[in-house]
Amino acid sequence: MATDTKDLEALVLVRVVRLNAAIAGVVTGLLAGLVLFAATNWLVLKGGPVVGPHLALLGQYFIGYRVSFVGSLIGFAWAFLLGFLAGAAVVAIYNRLADLRDPPARGR
Amino acid sequence: MSAGPGSRHVVIGAGPAGLTAARELAQQGRSVVVLEQAGIVGGLARTESYKGFHFDMGGHRFFTKVDEVQKIWQQVLGSDFLRRPRLSRIYYDGRFFHYPLKPLNALAGLGLWRALLVVLSYLRWQLFPYKEERTFEQWVTNRFGRRLFLTFFKTYTEKVWGIPCSELRAEWAAQRIKDLSLRSAVVAMFVKPRTTIKTLIEEFDYPRLGPGMMWRATADEIRRAGGEVRLGAEVTEIRRTGRRVDGVVVTGPRGEEPVRGDQFLSSMPVTALVLRLSPPAPDAVREAARRLTYRDFLTVCLIVDRPDPFPDNWIYVHSPEVKVGRIQNFRSWSPDMVPDPTKASLGLEYFCSEGDALWTMADAELIRLGKEELERIGLARASEISDGCVFRVPKAYPVYDADYREHLDTVREFVDGLENLQTIGRNGLHRYNNQDHAMLTGLLAVRNLEGGARHDLWSVNTEPEYHEEVGISDAEASMLDGRVAEIFPRVDGVAFGAATGLVAGALLCLATLVLVWKGGPVVGPTLGLLAQFLPGYSVTATGAMIGLIYGALGGFLAGWSFAVIRNLTLFFSLSFLRRRAQRQLLKRFLEFV
Repeated sequence: MATDTKDLEALVLVRVVRLNAAIAGVVTGLLAGLVLFAATNWLVLKGGPVVGPHLALLGQYFIGYRVSFVGSLIGFAWAFLLGFLAGAAVVAIYNRLADLRDPPARGR
Repeated sequence: MSAGPGSRHVVIGAGPAGLTAARELAQQGRSVVVLEQAGIVGGLARTESYKGFHFDMGGHRFFTKVDEVQKIWQQVLGSDFLRRPRLSRIYYDGRFFHYPLKPLNALAGLGLWRALLVVLSYLRWQLFPYKEERTFEQWVTNRFGRRLFLTFFKTYTEKVWGIPCSELRAEWAAQRIKDLSLRSAVVAMFVKPRTTIKTLIEEFDYPRLGPGMMWRATADEIRRAGGEVRLGAEVTEIRRTGRRVDGVVVTGPRGEEPVRGDQFLSSMPVTALVLRLSPPAPDAVREAARRLTYRDFLTVCLIVDRPDPFPDNWIYVHSPEVKVGRIQNFRSWSPDMVPDPTKASLGLEYFCSEGDALWTMADAELIRLGKEELERIGLARASEISDGCVFRVPKAYPVYDADYREHLDTVREFVDGLENLQTIGRNGLHRYNNQDHAMLTGLLAVRNLEGGARHDLWSVNTEPEYHEEVGISDAEASMLDGRVAEIFPRVDGVAFGAATGLVAGALLCLATLVLVWKGGPVVGPTLGLLAQFLPGYSVTATGAMIGLIYGALGGFLAGWSFAVIRNLTLFFSLSFLRRRAQRQLLKRFLEFV
């Protein structure tokens, strides 16, 4: 419905959303941490002669990380930290750019 | 606007708005006189009587979301309210359809073949709608298909408003339906329907002897509190000095008589108010007032020599072969409206315009017409009708024609400039207010007099009770109207893409540099596999810079895509919700006509 769509366009998706960097950081941090925690323990449970040789390469970045249960906890902490920083950085940069493109005074 | 304790208040009109305001003033111990042109109180919500039978002019369910109004109803009538079940149907082409529409009942009533045509018509107009929606006909057809328009919209709308749907502007429909459906859609996302409110739609409160009982009791309260309610007192002149009203001239059985006052509340038609000012309002304002029009109706009341010809409270008559628009069965409103249990009283409502052929038709002719049409519809035989009478209700509906807004703004600007006069009620504000909202304008007008308050009476909610099911208050609804844009903002795709790109690029660059810094016989063989996807990338310092660019590009694409998909998903889900809300409204579309 052409007219309806126009009306809807005029009402919604008009303003630019601003996001909360801390919340975004926690969300992405938790997601990253949980994924690494689950992936590590999955490989630990599967077992085998060499457990998770590729995932273990993360130890190059995450000091103390190994494909073991203890390693999964350390990995969780590292991944959470990295995820938090990445998520918060994305949102902080996004908010700054959004302010530049749609200044708050005009946008509200 | 504030009035001192010794001020004399003149209320013009003894309808719901005027009487509510006067009751409030009288209870505050203020001097108040109500001037009513008719010989009966209640205005458009009056109850007429004939040989012990009571007739509600238009049918007034007592249901409101305004707590103060509900409280007044209970204070005034209390145990004289009955809780009545609601049943109404549509008569079209020899069949009855449930109203609000029930899809299965509607399809069964139409028959298999016509139901199929309705569906095909709906699909056809969904695929190839009118490109421009200038008229009500185009507006409805685009949404529901031409067959449904012809079946359930066209004839009744034309009966009520007296002009072809092709001449009713689409804005009229849009104003009454569209914004609401978006709001309903939005609200439906957050608020669950409240079953208690649903129940109230299926049932309603009703005074034992019709709405007039409420207004007679209110007038009695005003008198007991020291106020005066004068019937048969038509205000024929409103005298002013500049922007201040000094008094009015009342014409009644005793001839002309001036009535002075300090504060004035008027529920008389705002058009008449402007035209009766002395000295006259400016020409442009008078011209604007003349261009505001009304639709009127008359009720042919028939006494039938058998009880309960049908169980409905009222029936909408869509069939074009009869002129009647709606038929009330007063016993279904309240058994006490009919004094003889062996008889029934019906009210056949004919929508017309003051002075037209129907309006000027002799009562006997109208009764004959009513009998004929009742028999034609099959609700009663003419020989079963033993008696009848006719009541005319002028200025029942303010007409929202193409230019009314412009004219009303002109009138309003002038009237608002009169410092000690406020207009209230449906006709005082030329708004399609229901009884409860009319009462609210009276209450708010009194509060404006108390000083401090500055309520805008013209913006008191005009919506009928169609979004009761979602259960939000008027205040919440109006707040929501202004907040839709804030509730549904978009994610800026470019900004989100750029932010994601920067972070992704930086991460890949850092990951590469860490490995380069750590060194070893073979540097970053696994990360180096990325070169399979990113030509030119390597785990070197140069590769880190190339990785930065690749990461930025990939991140930008990912972030931008996320934003676009998120925005589109939100938009289409809102479109879907809106369409669903419109379909819900279709079931109760007559409340908007």
